[in-house]
Amino acid sequence: MNELVHGALYGTLIATAILSTIAMGIWFERKFAGRMQQRLGPTIVGPAGLLQPFADIIKLLQKEDIVPRDADRGLFDLAPILAVVCSLGVAAVIPFSPSIIASDLDVGVLWVLGIGGLMVIPTFAAGWGSNNKFALLGAMRAIAQSVSYGVPLVLAVLVPVVLSGSLSISGIVAWQAQHHWFAVWPIVPGLPAFVIFFLAMLAESNRIPFDIPEAESELVAGITTEYTGAKFTLFYMAEYVHTLVGSALGAALFFGGWDGPFAPGLHWMVLKTLTLFVLIYWVRWSLLRFRADQLMRLCWTWLTPIGVALLLVSAAWVTFGGTN
Amino acid sequence: MGYFNDTAKALRTTMVNAFREPVTQEFPLVIRPRAERFRASFALPDDEHGEVACIGCLACERICPSRVIKMKSGGKKDSPVTGKKRAYIDEFVLDLSACIGCELCVQVCNSDAIVMVRQPEVPAFAREDLVLDMEKLRANAKLKTASWGTGTRLQEMQEPPKAEKPAVAKASPATETAPAPAPAKETV
Repeated sequence: MNELVHGALYGTLIATAILSTIAMGIWFERKFAGRMQQRLGPTIVGPAGLLQPFADIIKLLQKEDIVPRDADRGLFDLAPILAVVCSLGVAAVIPFSPSIIASDLDVGVLWVLGIGGLMVIPTFAAGWGSNNKFALLGAMRAIAQSVSYGVPLVLAVLVPVVLSGSLSISGIVAWQAQHHWFAVWPIVPGLPAFVIFFLAMLAESNRIPFDIPEAESELVAGITTEYTGAKFTLFYMAEYVHTLVGSALGAALFFGGWDGPFAPGLHWMVLKTLTLFVLIYWVRWSLLRFRADQLMRLCWTWLTPIGVALLLVSAAWVTFGGTN
Repeated sequence: MGYFNDTAKALRTTMVNAFREPVTQEFPLVIRPRAERFRASFALPDDEHGEVACIGCLACERICPSRVIKMKSGGKKDSPVTGKKRAYIDEFVLDLSACIGCELCVQVCNSDAIVMVRQPEVPAFAREDLVLDMEKLRANAKLKTASWGTGTRLQEMQEPPKAEKPAVAKASPATETAPAPAPAKETV
């Protein structure tokens, strides 16, 4: 098949699947969070509140689109769209099964880090364009956080790259299918690297306990303070897409993607991705928010040095021919 | 290290909670039993002859701290039931939207003409629906259960204990502070 046709077809398929998963993910999160607090969560709209996300979306889309008088209109309108594009773009190179992948780039890991790192641009565009002090403060915090946590993220992602000798994510998954999942063996660079990856991913997608860019008690809603209606929906969606795609990336890089103990295929990838997704919600509804300085200290004095050490360990493992 | 322990503890707590039975009661569908002395709205009950008991003495209007009671006295007339002369009211309006539920109006009423009722108030969709005029208050008296407290009962209950006349100057102080009569048990 022509590569462009293949990319368009599978890209649409994967994007649709991700967006539908997110609609149900919002329902699941609300139910799960409710149960954790011994509440019921949504119960009224549809059986067990299953139609709640659609009601939410309809409500959000009906709302008036308010633009602040002194806003930078261009940036203000562009930011939500860019946010969704950047977070969905990462999904292009993730192999959901040996054949279901939008574009099998040879430098998939580079693409992921680059497009994921671009998220700071819509974030700052939103913060600056809103002409609101809370939005700007939130954006500045978000950028400080994204740039800082980009470092341990890269270091953690480099561990599977070094161990498998491939920059292509489907190559990394195929290597794990032949040998071992990196979270299992070699356990010393593998599992700690996954933990660092997980923490850095939480920080990159502004999730609790690293959600200081939109700390409700300090910054109203951070960059989304001035956004309403459809544009707010896009930001909200981008955040969930980021989380889900990050989970998929973690599953592919450290848990063998579509590989499983028996019958490898799409279902294993879906299972692993959703498990990580649930783990993120579990963390989100259990922990408190870091302070900005604690966040930076964790990144620069713990995660980054450990990440460097793990990278060296994995390089040594490959050089001295560790058993695969 | 302490942080890791706390994190583990927080994660464990939420996960244990997630598998517990939720404590939520879905209010409009499930109504929890009301307390025995729960009371909300008001009513203007009849006297023993089947006439409206209120004589328009304005005591409740005067004592109301939020000034939600407005009434218009109807003057004295011969009662069509007993033939005796008594006072009537023309209008009685109680605005529940500003009522604080202190029940002072009930306490000052010497003719037991205003009582609180035990059924919860029905939510209203307009402010006007919260204004209880005479018609609504009379209907409340017929449809809803009155609470135990009426003016005379409450006054009796709160009356200071009758001090015995000290015959001798050095009466023991214990006799002066006799315990207040216990409130009668609510029978609804």
